[in-house]
Amino acid sequence: MAEVDRGLDRRKFLKVLGVTGVGSAALGGCSTDKVEKLIPYLVQDPNQVPGKATIYASTCTECSAGCGLHVTTREARAIKLEGNPDHPVNRGALCARGQAALQGLYNPDRIAGPMARNEAGDWVKVTWDDAIGRLVRALLAAPGRLAVLSGAGAGTFSDLFRDWTEAQGGQFVRWEPFDHEAMRAANRRIFGLDELPAHDFARARHIVSFGAEFLETWLAPVENQRGFAEARGRVGEGQEGERGMAKAVYIGPRRSLTGLNADEWHATTPGSEALLALAMANVVLSERSGAPPDANALRGVLSEYTPQRAAEAAGLETETVLRLAREFASAQPSLAVAGGISAQHRGAVDVCAAVNLLNYVAGNVGETVLFGARLQAGDGYGALRTLQQSMTASQVGVLIVHEANPVYAVPAESGFAAAMAQVPFKVSTSAYLDETSAACDLLLPNHHALERWDDAKPRAGIHALLQPVMEPVFGTKPTGDVLLETARLVGGALGGFSAVNFEAHLKDAWASVAQAAGASDTVEFWRESLRRGGRFATPEPTVVGLAAGVRLQLTEPALDGDGEFTLLPYPSPMLFDGRGANRPWLRENPDPVSKITWHSWVEVHPDTAARLDVRDGEHLRLTSPHGALEVPVYVYAGVRRDVIALPLGLGHTEFGAYATGEGVNPLDLLSADDGSGFLPYLSTRVEVERTRGFTKLATTQGNPRQLGRGIVETMPLPLAERGLTVAQSYEEQGHAEHEINPELEREAIVGWAEVQQEKQRFGGYADPHPKWGMAVDLSRCTGCSACVTACYAENNIPWVGADEVRRGREMSWMRIERYWEDGAHDGGASHAESAEARFIPVMCQHCDNAPCEPVCPVYASYHTPDGLNGQVYNRCVGTRYCGNNCPYKVRYYNWFAFAKRAFPEPMSLQLNPEVTVRARGVMEKCTFCIQRIRSAQHTARLEGREVQDGDVVTACAQACPSGAIVFGNVRDPESRVAAARQHPRGYHLLEDLNVRPSVTYLAKVIHSVEA
Amino acid sequence: MTAITQPGPPLTQTHAEVTRDVVATLGTPSRGYYLALFGAVGMFLVGLGTFVMLLKDGLGLAGYVHPVMWLVYITTFVFWVGIGHAGTLISAILYLFRSPWRTAVYRSTEAMTVFAVMTAGLFPIIHIGRQWIFYWLLPYPNQRMLWPNFKSPLIWDVFAIGTYLTVSTTFLVVGLVPDIAAVRDKVSGWRKKVYAMCSLGWTGSDNQWRHYTRGYLYLAALATPLVLSVHSVVSWDFAMSIVPGWHGTIFAPYFVAGAIYSGIGMVLTLLVPLRKVLKLEHMITEYHFDNLAKLTLLTGSILFYAYLMEYFVGWYSANTFEQTTFFRRAFGPQWWAGWSMIICNAFVSQLLWFRKIRTNLTALFVISIFINVGMWFERYVIIASSLSNDYIPYAWAQANPTWADWGILVGSFGWFLMYFLLFARTFPIVAIQEIKEMIPMPRRKRGGAH
Repeated sequence: MAEVDRGLDRRKFLKVLGVTGVGSAALGGCSTDKVEKLIPYLVQDPNQVPGKATIYASTCTECSAGCGLHVTTREARAIKLEGNPDHPVNRGALCARGQAALQGLYNPDRIAGPMARNEAGDWVKVTWDDAIGRLVRALLAAPGRLAVLSGAGAGTFSDLFRDWTEAQGGQFVRWEPFDHEAMRAANRRIFGLDELPAHDFARARHIVSFGAEFLETWLAPVENQRGFAEARGRVGEGQEGERGMAKAVYIGPRRSLTGLNADEWHATTPGSEALLALAMANVVLSERSGAPPDANALRGVLSEYTPQRAAEAAGLETETVLRLAREFASAQPSLAVAGGISAQHRGAVDVCAAVNLLNYVAGNVGETVLFGARLQAGDGYGALRTLQQSMTASQVGVLIVHEANPVYAVPAESGFAAAMAQVPFKVSTSAYLDETSAACDLLLPNHHALERWDDAKPRAGIHALLQPVMEPVFGTKPTGDVLLETARLVGGALGGFSAVNFEAHLKDAWASVAQAAGASDTVEFWRESLRRGGRFATPEPTVVGLAAGVRLQLTEPALDGDGEFTLLPYPSPMLFDGRGANRPWLRENPDPVSKITWHSWVEVHPDTAARLDVRDGEHLRLTSPHGALEVPVYVYAGVRRDVIALPLGLGHTEFGAYATGEGVNPLDLLSADDGSGFLPYLSTRVEVERTRGFTKLATTQGNPRQLGRGIVETMPLPLAERGLTVAQSYEEQGHAEHEINPELEREAIVGWAEVQQEKQRFGGYADPHPKWGMAVDLSRCTGCSACVTACYAENNIPWVGADEVRRGREMSWMRIERYWEDGAHDGGASHAESAEARFIPVMCQHCDNAPCEPVCPVYASYHTPDGLNGQVYNRCVGTRYCGNNCPYKVRYYNWFAFAKRAFPEPMSLQLNPEVTVRARGVMEKCTFCIQRIRSAQHTARLEGREVQDGDVVTACAQACPSGAIVFGNVRDPESRVAAARQHPRGYHLLEDLNVRPSVTYLAKVIHSVEA
Repeated sequence: MTAITQPGPPLTQTHAEVTRDVVATLGTPSRGYYLALFGAVGMFLVGLGTFVMLLKDGLGLAGYVHPVMWLVYITTFVFWVGIGHAGTLISAILYLFRSPWRTAVYRSTEAMTVFAVMTAGLFPIIHIGRQWIFYWLLPYPNQRMLWPNFKSPLIWDVFAIGTYLTVSTTFLVVGLVPDIAAVRDKVSGWRKKVYAMCSLGWTGSDNQWRHYTRGYLYLAALATPLVLSVHSVVSWDFAMSIVPGWHGTIFAPYFVAGAIYSGIGMVLTLLVPLRKVLKLEHMITEYHFDNLAKLTLLTGSILFYAYLMEYFVGWYSANTFEQTTFFRRAFGPQWWAGWSMIICNAFVSQLLWFRKIRTNLTALFVISIFINVGMWFERYVIIASSLSNDYIPYAWAQANPTWADWGILVGSFGWFLMYFLLFARTFPIVAIQEIKEMIPMPRRKRGGAH
């Protein structure tokens, strides 16, 4: 791992590069239109080896989870983001959103430098001195009337910003749209602790989610997913009796990705979750001993919440409630979670409180619910509303908005934009011209997180660092520097901020961290921290007890309006609160549930759709008391009949070319009222009306059913624990083996295979070679699609846009197929009767007996001696025969010059120099990251050793938060992939075709539900 | 076979009249001819324009979707190759069988063959992604020492089409030589010089005739296997793959029958108006059409059987992929294409059992249009519908052809008709010498043209 221990030297070095023109492509302002000259390094930096990646540790700022990053740079440009294996939150994995931060860095719609409005109100470019001068004058003109709205995570910068603001008598508000305020309020109420705890999914043996989308957007999704996969992946492993595969239950009106990964889904009435959790707690408490002593005090409180009452409210059977409670209690430790954004109705605090009690009586607090972690949180929605009131009351003279977009992320009805108009001088440090910065008067674009110094404290025990990994792409300036410069110019109360720049300020701050840690050499401490990505420690869990006088007053959460359907807006797994909308990788990575890309949709239950006479793509007009919008229908059995669901994140009016023009913002339908300190997302009833509009859904899904083809094989848990193979499991269950080829055919296949393999004994193929293979554990795969973005980033895969996706032309080398399991064999209906899903990542299977190879007339597709199915782009003339003959349909064709459009300046700086950018007219496909294989082989050879298992990690395997993908040399008997190929659950996709794939799938294990 | 070798009614013209009538077709063209020619050139220009757009922007302009990587271009390619089969069948095989009725029509079918194969030959170039390096498909010596992959059916295709074009062109030219000489003797001025050059010094001496007829016979023998082989090879483009709906052992005979069927369909489409326009009614008679129609009926019935067998084998295979493919071919989203193919080819051709229909030129013309449409659809169905739903259901998708597909299709018809029309005005469209062989020898009378 390369380190940056001489940051200043490196920066200076980069400046030299800028002057001499070397690596000028990395420094912006370079155009491919010009003739490119290859200029050797004039001054060779000892740390910079051309052609060799330099990796810097940093921290992801895309959400408040604060995952650790390893930023791969090549020739001084960041080309890939991966997780930092040392970081306790993500342990080396990274979600799609985190990886797409690169497209934020290189986004062509970034603000290139400071801008101000002229007399006519148009934006004009100004110099940084001029811009800071304007800010200083504004601050001096409005003493004490400063307000700052910041979305920056906890850390030295945020502290500086708060101190800087407060020194001027201003008010500082830290605000995140998804801030889990309800969870904190509930923790205050039940445990007297104003904090967000950590959750140990890995230890849980039974997981119940009350509408918390913990695999997508809830708290720290990568960490949750790792734990979840851990809990679900231990099939017949570990000590007897205690390490069985965890069962997962999802309770909520809409089956999210988390819900699809659960064994059971209960579509409860929105607002009934608290009653259900309390009834479960009641059953647990009354039927089971072992609850903490003070829990007995709850008996009285809980006794009125009977299973009958809960069942009635939730629309379940009493028996089901009892069973849920007993299962929850009997598997120890278990874990119940709540507080998801899609379940954030006006009674959300009650739900979280009830779930707290459930966890408490089941003895999970301190086991799987770990207080003391103090996950970072903002000041909450209430603080934003207060700020808005003071803006409306003209009490604010200068407003600085930092890393926040309230004009978009708060319902328009709130009137935040109007309140902003009351502020005479508004400043934005946003890197993009989003809805909020477009309403400002001065733009002071901040460096991207990958271009600046910073640190982050996402939770107790973690003090992570961010470092600039490259020269800034645009003429931006770190906001920390702006604050310090402004402080020097304003003087007075701000005179105390004396650091020359933010980097110096940060190092000062870390000097005290070093002292506190008892380090003798603060410089060495800094270097070591920077190399590792920060200081990581696991805090001791706080021992918590019930707060005094726990009381419950459940009221049915009110819904606005009297429409027929309850509107359920939910955070998009890809776009989060909308901040991902300008990243084509995220727009084109299909939603894991609906498999729709690029645009908005509304989810309607099949029965409801039939009643409304709408089909996929037909438009519905949704009208709430607060607004109306029109959106195409996606028929989905995973929503209740009386609920319609809309993903958040689109419908931008500003925010650059990629973000605008497609989709709707469901917040337009919501009221902005401050329920009790948070924005109630699930708070509105809507009328729906079919319109004449139609939009063909830009979906990547063809036929969503397996048609009995055994694509995703499953096994019931007891059989899997007995170590049965897939075939044995079928027999055991009384099904004849799912027979595709009759006996005779299979005999022929075996004989034929031997003939086919004969040529392997000749020429270069006869030499000893590794044979690369992959194994995918479908029990671990959740369908989150982080691997898809990793593949895009690693392999220079171009995005193609909504229209091309509609024609099935997405280039995604790796696709996550999602099949509905409802027994229906009809290929026509795109929706499922029941929302039971199976996920499978499908990439090139690198067949040993590959059908694509013999049909290529020019040998562009050929077999390498190490078992790869090679594709020579240069040789390909584009007959596409290989694509037709590929049974897995994993070959993708460049119908247009997709790469030209997908990588405009400066997006092209992200391109991986190890991988060819494909021209139009050639076929491409997964290469098993051959560049990584070769790189590992070269390294091993230089070091005079054999390639070890684990030396080669493909981009997908690297990114996978679940650790579902394993790659390695099949011929190495010690390798994990060789073991996986021997695994009883292992099977090959379409094995009967005799194509001999190199990818082994491990059958998904399911808890048979009341079988 | 007896049906097609039966002699027809004797011709009533004299040798001189035959020459006169045929040469008359080469006179000053009518307005109608020019209109047709301009139409054809216009259609060709549409195709050319579309091709330029394809070169500029890429194949994405056409209606391809992800699993359907071949669509209208390959469909049209196979369509034209198929058209090209009637010519050689009629001129070579029927020649060897001494079938008398071929004489009046073989020249035009042979010309049709050459132009159809020329048209088809464009498609491999149009359809590939990087058209500018199409020559990589050819085995030419190069410093990279790279050969094409002889295992690939596409390479077989290159050879099959190349051979077929060479042989059928040779056959056409050789057959033309005595006729060009006849024209040479009838025209004057610069045209005489041109025809003289093209007639390769033909004098009609006994010696020349002796060599000529032998040579022609051997050429016919050489061309005969091609009738079977070329379309078999083309069918292997599909049959050699593992795509359900393509991977069938009946493909070679099935395609050959279909090719001849479509070729005769096109012959009918061309001849019915042509004989009218060129005033050749007394040479190309009901007798000829009756025989062509019988051949159509035969091949159409073979095709009908092949369709039934395809479905039967699809079901009988007990292979879920095959079964799904054929179920969806008939009842899937592209059912209309599947049924178009069956109705136009299998059902409509059965009308030819009736002699009244076989000798009714209007009816034949209409049926021939059905055959053309049906045979185009047959290839479209085999290609588009099989590819759209193979092994992985999640990857299924339906292709919808766009203007770029239709533009090239129209252009191919323009290209073909353009050549055919130019040929019809430049060279005798009816074989003068062979017609004359059908006429009883004039007794004790010297003279007359050859």
